[in-house]
Amino acid sequence: MGFFDDKQDWLREVFAQYPDTPQGRRAALMPMLRRVQQDEGWISPERQEEIASILGTTATEVAGVMSFYSYYQALPTGRYHIQVCATLSCAIGGADELWDELVQELGILRGEVTPDGLFSIQKVECLGSCHTAPVVQINDEPYVECVTKARLHALLQGLREGKRLEEIVLPGKAGHVVHNRGEEVGA
Amino acid sequence: MEAMAKVTINDRTVEVPSGTSVMDAIFHAGYDVPLFCAEKHLSPIGACRMCLVRTGSPRKGPDGQFILENGQPKIFWMPKLSAACITAVSDGMVIDTLSDEVKHAQSGMVELTLFNHPLDCPTCDKGGACELQDRSYEYGLVEKFYQPDPLELPLYTRFEMTRRHVDKHHALSPFIVLDRERCIHCKRCVRYFEEIPGDEVLDFIERGVHTFINSEEAGLPSNFTGNIVDICPVGALLDQTARFRARNWEYDSTETTSMDDACGAAITVDARSGLLERIRAAERREVNEVWISDAARFGHEWVNENRVRSPLVRKEGRLVEASWEEALEAIRKGLQGVARTDIGVYLGGHASLEEGLAAFELAQALSTPHRDFQGRTAYPVTVFSPASFDDLLDAEFVLVLGDPAEEAPTLHLRLSEYSRGLKPAGKLNHGTPFADLNIKERMPRLTDKLALFSVYPANTAKWAGASAVHAPGAEVALLSALLGQGEAPAGLEQPVAWVKGRLAASQRVVLVLGAGVLNQPEAATRARQLADRLGAKVMCMTPAANARGLEALGLFPGKGGAGWTETGPKAVYFAYLPQEAQLRAASFRILHLTHRHPLADRYADVVLPGQTAYEKRGHTLNLEGRVLPLEPAGINNGEADGAVAALGLIAEAAGVKAPFRLVRQATRWLHEKLKLPAVMERWMPKATGWAASESDVTQGPLYLRPTMWRQEQLVGAVARAVEVRLEMSPETARAQGLADGYRVELDTPRGVEKLEVRVVPGLPNGFMYLPALGAWAGRRVEARILVGGEA
Repeated sequence: MGFFDDKQDWLREVFAQYPDTPQGRRAALMPMLRRVQQDEGWISPERQEEIASILGTTATEVAGVMSFYSYYQALPTGRYHIQVCATLSCAIGGADELWDELVQELGILRGEVTPDGLFSIQKVECLGSCHTAPVVQINDEPYVECVTKARLHALLQGLREGKRLEEIVLPGKAGHVVHNRGEEVGA
Repeated sequence: MEAMAKVTINDRTVEVPSGTSVMDAIFHAGYDVPLFCAEKHLSPIGACRMCLVRTGSPRKGPDGQFILENGQPKIFWMPKLSAACITAVSDGMVIDTLSDEVKHAQSGMVELTLFNHPLDCPTCDKGGACELQDRSYEYGLVEKFYQPDPLELPLYTRFEMTRRHVDKHHALSPFIVLDRERCIHCKRCVRYFEEIPGDEVLDFIERGVHTFINSEEAGLPSNFTGNIVDICPVGALLDQTARFRARNWEYDSTETTSMDDACGAAITVDARSGLLERIRAAERREVNEVWISDAARFGHEWVNENRVRSPLVRKEGRLVEASWEEALEAIRKGLQGVARTDIGVYLGGHASLEEGLAAFELAQALSTPHRDFQGRTAYPVTVFSPASFDDLLDAEFVLVLGDPAEEAPTLHLRLSEYSRGLKPAGKLNHGTPFADLNIKERMPRLTDKLALFSVYPANTAKWAGASAVHAPGAEVALLSALLGQGEAPAGLEQPVAWVKGRLAASQRVVLVLGAGVLNQPEAATRARQLADRLGAKVMCMTPAANARGLEALGLFPGKGGAGWTETGPKAVYFAYLPQEAQLRAASFRILHLTHRHPLADRYADVVLPGQTAYEKRGHTLNLEGRVLPLEPAGINNGEADGAVAALGLIAEAAGVKAPFRLVRQATRWLHEKLKLPAVMERWMPKATGWAASESDVTQGPLYLRPTMWRQEQLVGAVARAVEVRLEMSPETARAQGLADGYRVELDTPRGVEKLEVRVVPGLPNGFMYLPALGAWAGRRVEARILVGGEA
């Protein structure tokens, strides 16, 4: 069964937002991708084919758009998809070491999911919070900032216990951290 | 009168039409600018930033007068360099391509492009014909810019990092291999697929430095994939059928005309050491622009193998090699006791005009009515006044009955241009513009200008405002309904009504007729009535490449003569491999073949070595009636010769005077007696004395659907890519007791064929579909399933 078979009303609503032309129809690609990503955690090749056939385009076009955005996942993700910013500020702030720590702790690489189905990890480009580097984002939630090793472990522990993100108390303080004051940032 | 803009490029001032790109103005003035992403007939997008130039314009003050400096309008230079391909000229613009600032920027772009490009030119097939190589030499870093000290070694790049390593030798299809390390992301191939054939099967995946080209569709499903090899500026996309055969400068290149379909696309045939190794598209802007179909490009591997290189004569039951003199003796002996009127002359559909003339004149001298060419349609095509491709672009409405992407592939690409509302490309000093600003990415397709009816789902239908798949044979009722002489066939009421309205509202109409219509005289007659009533010009997608020319010369059966599918004459000359029944019915058979074949080994009395279309010299007519040249490529074919020589031999053996023995004499005859115009001009005589019988048109349940591929091409990579299946709708399969994947033996007039069944929902019921792979395209024949069962 197709993903959109029982969402015809939703589809009609989406298409109504765009001009009734082949180009306009293609504009619905983004909301459709987003819907699948939100509901299923990733967009499988079958879903890409389905979207292509609904929009009258090819799966290649869908894959082209999808792969441009790091938000859309082409591989299955865990319940908590941890995205580590790896662009310049975070890299200087220790994103690489943070990534290694994550890989060590969870025992997975990019594209894999922990056996309990909880975690998957990904390096992403700049999240736009350079002043609180390094930054980690879980799913669509607000950023976790100034992530030290201690804060990372507390975060993972909290998630494992099933806490919501805002309930988890992280050691140290979030916000602007000046490195040469001796406070450990990142590794 | 077109608005013109006066532009100064460095020291030269030229006038170009407003709207011309700065790039084309520079070329027009005779200066050069480097480019990677711009390409003729594609949208300019400014992706590669290679064509950076400095531009400036005069400016008007508040008083409406030009701001002056030293009595001249002051030039206000743009603060930064701009990409010449996406900047339009303006009147009075000044363009600088030679200053240090420009050179510096261009060399910087070369440096950046080369940053991740592997330096494997010695093993790259593009080497020697590579745009990146050329531009690096001409515009790359030179010591002038990056030699800090005259005594130091020249420094060619400022970067010292590891190159990016990604996928090499990635086969996109059996024909095309992609090397992702070499790709410079110019986007030519991606734009090509969207804009030209309209099959969006290739796209950029990922972004930034991770970007690569990929397809989710297995094997690039399009009939026009090969053109991306031509337009790739580097060696990223390569032709698998020609890979690692030769360095580019070793090829013996010949520009000739593709005889794979009736469009007459220009091709360049590359041979090396007497072997045909590669075919590329050549530019013929009036016809194929710079594009060709995959059949014309990749279907050449059959040419080199298993050739007949000398005449073969049957001695003691076996064909043995002989000289042309011995062949003459054998023919003389074989024709003894055969009435001259009982000799049949049959040419191939890709015969040249010269060969057609020789065949007609020989038939006249023998006064035999048995003359024809393979693939002649049941209704003459010369009665239709042909449209040119320029007429097509100018049309207000185009009605297609057939499948252009398979029957006349070039026409599909020109319809793509038509559906985007483009006019023929302008002509500047350097030819076709490289960056035509009229062309944009993702132009809306003007679907109210096109309608398509076909008997099999057609790719071109995606641009049609109305389209339908109907049963074979429904064309008669369909055309009658369009003429207002009857009801539309069931299920076609809506599209027919729409087309009638559009036809009534349109002035310039072009009809495109496929082999399916042309092989039904009743339907073709109605098409002619429709064309006459509308004053429409017609494009006939004939299975034979030179059908229009050969018909114009009178090469069709005379009164009582046997057509190319029929039996009749006692002694026969076939320049192709006919049906077994035709060979069996004759008592003396001369086959003029390029390749050995079991049928020839069994039946032929004399086999003469023939030329493929790549080896012929002469002329041909395409479906526009345009005279196109045929030039022989450097292919070693032994003692092979064309039909002019072979028919001269037969004339001598039969004791009649051959009007000429040489192709050159035939060409002169064509020009002098038949007023054949020069190459690229159009020749539109009407055939007179059409007496072709219609008895060869049968009404069986097997529809031979037109394909761009021909049977003989199915070797090597083509055999891996082309699937020949017996297709039918689920209902038909059920009625026949068949299912998907069953293997059957099918008895057809072409012989018994072993086929696999494929069930295709949506096909008209009651018919079986088989790829025609050649001259039988568009015909319905009797067919019987002999044995069938699960695989």
